[in-house]
Amino acid sequence: MKLTRITALVASVGLVLGVAGCASTTPSSEPIVIGSQAYYSNEIIAETYAQVLENAGYTVDRQFSLGQRDVYVPAIEAGEIDLFPEYTGNLLQYLVPDATQTTADDVYSALATALPAGLTALDMSPATDQDSYNVTQDFAQKNNLTSIADLAKLKDLTLGGAPELAERPYGPKGLLDMYGVTVSFQATGDTTVDALVAGQVSMANVYSADPRISQLKLVTLSDPLGLFLASNVVPIASEKVSADARALVNAVSAAMTPEDLVALNVRSVEEKLSASVIAHDWLVSKGLIK
Amino acid sequence: MGNVGDLGAFGAWLSDGANWTGRYGLLNLIVEHLALTALSLLIAALIAIPVGLFIGHTGRGEIFVVGLGSLSRAIPTMGLLFALVLLLGVEFRELSVLLALSTIALPPLIAGAYSGVTTIPPSIRDSATAQGMTTWQLVRHVEVPLASPSLIGGLRIAFIQVVSTVVLAPLVGLGGLGFGIIQGLALRNYAQVTVSSLVIIVITITGERLIGFWQHRTKARLTPLDKLENP
Repeated sequence: MKLTRITALVASVGLVLGVAGCASTTPSSEPIVIGSQAYYSNEIIAETYAQVLENAGYTVDRQFSLGQRDVYVPAIEAGEIDLFPEYTGNLLQYLVPDATQTTADDVYSALATALPAGLTALDMSPATDQDSYNVTQDFAQKNNLTSIADLAKLKDLTLGGAPELAERPYGPKGLLDMYGVTVSFQATGDTTVDALVAGQVSMANVYSADPRISQLKLVTLSDPLGLFLASNVVPIASEKVSADARALVNAVSAAMTPEDLVALNVRSVEEKLSASVIAHDWLVSKGLIK
Repeated sequence: MGNVGDLGAFGAWLSDGANWTGRYGLLNLIVEHLALTALSLLIAALIAIPVGLFIGHTGRGEIFVVGLGSLSRAIPTMGLLFALVLLLGVEFRELSVLLALSTIALPPLIAGAYSGVTTIPPSIRDSATAQGMTTWQLVRHVEVPLASPSLIGGLRIAFIQVVSTVVLAPLVGLGGLGFGIIQGLALRNYAQVTVSSLVIIVITITGERLIGFWQHRTKARLTPLDKLENP
């Protein structure tokens, strides 16, 4: 996952070039090229799209682990990838860095406008994987915390997260402006959750579908004022994806609940199963494939 | 923000005082980058130089030195870094980073010290022994001074490798100039990425030139001795 972000980034440049090369040399029965981020959870979602399409007789070309948005968004825009599982809020923020929408529906409609011509956001799923602020259970009980607003009475808070959190609208500045919470920021990078558990930071930004939230009994603080952008799972499709294929993918999105997504991630982290096995079992359980 | 070639954004980033000060300001990151580099090299030198001198002096473990060169290319630094952080715990992330960086600095330093000693003409070592020097005196007054240009050459290579690898430190929650690159990429702030990269390049070239100058002077100091040997 994120630990291998840089390696994946480097490798994916090669992969993208490979995709570019293939596109021109396969004139017969055009497969649907499905991409995914170099993030295990995203790969599982991409795999559910792939299997439901294959089950309906489509040919699918899997181009998974394509790094982060800087690498794959240009490839999608260039028409090298036809279908990609994305997250409404994070993608909107990438396309429109100063976007102000926060609710799920507002973000989704803003995203539809922001997408480049030729790309469509299919139906968004109820499943979300978005930024959230978490504290340890001890810390929450000791200070009686359930919401971000409850932090305002505390002093000497440190916030841990990826380096870019320092500048994000929902980072230290957003916390102060919206909730009156003062924090000092510590860039804990890929060791954010470990730093929280070790007590090096008092609160941490963790993706809401991260299995470690339940494994380590972290308490996710509610966000009543809408500091975070909602980030629902949303398939991004090119014009090469037919209406029939879109309907199949939309059915997958509709069936996936937030709890399902966490459960899929837990299977990946705890049972170490491959994305294809996890996706297959889930699709069968939902009756989407036989 | 914006295009890579956007010079206006570049200047605007540099002239914004907020980008220079604070915990993750450019000045602090430069100091942290230099401190991590210097400390890692110091730790590595304390281990590598005695080991290299010992192998060069006794001739024992020479195969070890030969294998070392290829080994240094086989170590995945990033993997080692994460493994150390997981092993020692996030409380010791500074130590983990220093150990990982020291590991990549060891091979060139050992090789430099080793080859410095082995290339000393046997006649010089023999005459030192003939004058009644003890082993310690031989090492201290003959081998170390004569090996120093090669030793500093090893330091030169180690410096370049370490100073460019410190960039990984922000991945495990430390600073250094890699912070500006990793944060800038995520924010698509290419001015910040460019400035951070340029500063790393300037530090690398300057440091390399300084060590090179030191190596040159050390060698020049030994030149009369060369003339003595080949009149």
